[in-house]
Amino acid sequence: MNGSKHDRAGGRAEPVTVRFAFTPAAAYVRAARLVAADVAAHAGVATGLLDEVRQAVGEACTRAVLRHRDRGLEDLVRVEFSIGDRFVAKITDNAQDLRARPNGRVGAAVPGGDARASDHDTIEEDTLSEEITLIVLGGLVEDLVVTGPDADGGTTVSMSWPLPGSGSSTDH
Amino acid sequence: MRGTAGDGAAEPELGLGLSTVGEYAVISVTGEIDMYTAPQLREAVRQLSSEGRMRVAIDLTPTEFCDSTGLGVLIGARRRLSDAGGSLVVVCGNPRIRKLLDLTGLDKVLDVREAVPGE
Repeated sequence: MNGSKHDRAGGRAEPVTVRFAFTPAAAYVRAARLVAADVAAHAGVATGLLDEVRQAVGEACTRAVLRHRDRGLEDLVRVEFSIGDRFVAKITDNAQDLRARPNGRVGAAVPGGDARASDHDTIEEDTLSEEITLIVLGGLVEDLVVTGPDADGGTTVSMSWPLPGSGSSTDH
Repeated sequence: MRGTAGDGAAEPELGLGLSTVGEYAVISVTGEIDMYTAPQLREAVRQLSSEGRMRVAIDLTPTEFCDSTGLGVLIGARRRLSDAGGSLVVVCGNPRIRKLLDLTGLDKVLDVREAVPGE
């Protein structure tokens, strides 16, 4: 009905995984969200949900890049899509703070932050944007879990969407 | 490597068209607004305000995609223009972006309209 390219009724022995990582730069967020939409379409996610997948993965990657940028981290942002009962997207950063900064407070001592401190508006909008990414994700994605940070890593945004024939549809 | 689109990668495209409707300077945005392209929109608003154009309308109706970074630019632009005695109108007849404004509650914070005032 919705053009799945896989015969899901036939079952799949093991989940399919697409995994990549990217330098935390703004230029690559678009690539990540386009890959997300393409993998989701290939998995059979309903056409009407593909915009949501694209937006949500873009928001999660934007958040990760902002968090790395804020801490001066060059570590790669990790992205993983898996196709099993549902289409699952996980975006993991390496920033160990729950939030980049307290809301709107840009004067805190941030290692490596001085180079950008002259652009007050940009920093304020970046801080604002991290907040908004979570608001957008919360409003957009029904199955959303943000975990971490933990001792050896940052946070992971996990999201999932139903696949046809999975019997676990919570479509909305 | 940082800050560029890299070899062979499609450039995220953002188009900014400038016009005047009544007393508003209108920025019509085509393409995708994300954290890579949003600085261009921010700069366009700055440029207008530096020229004394304090009434600005950002038209998102033809915009293909907008993420939270774009929303951050809208909020920043509204604040800067208001502080200078001006105003920002967000024109949005685009249901996808309208939904984004609604679910973030920004439809209540920003002056969102179907058309540029005076059009």
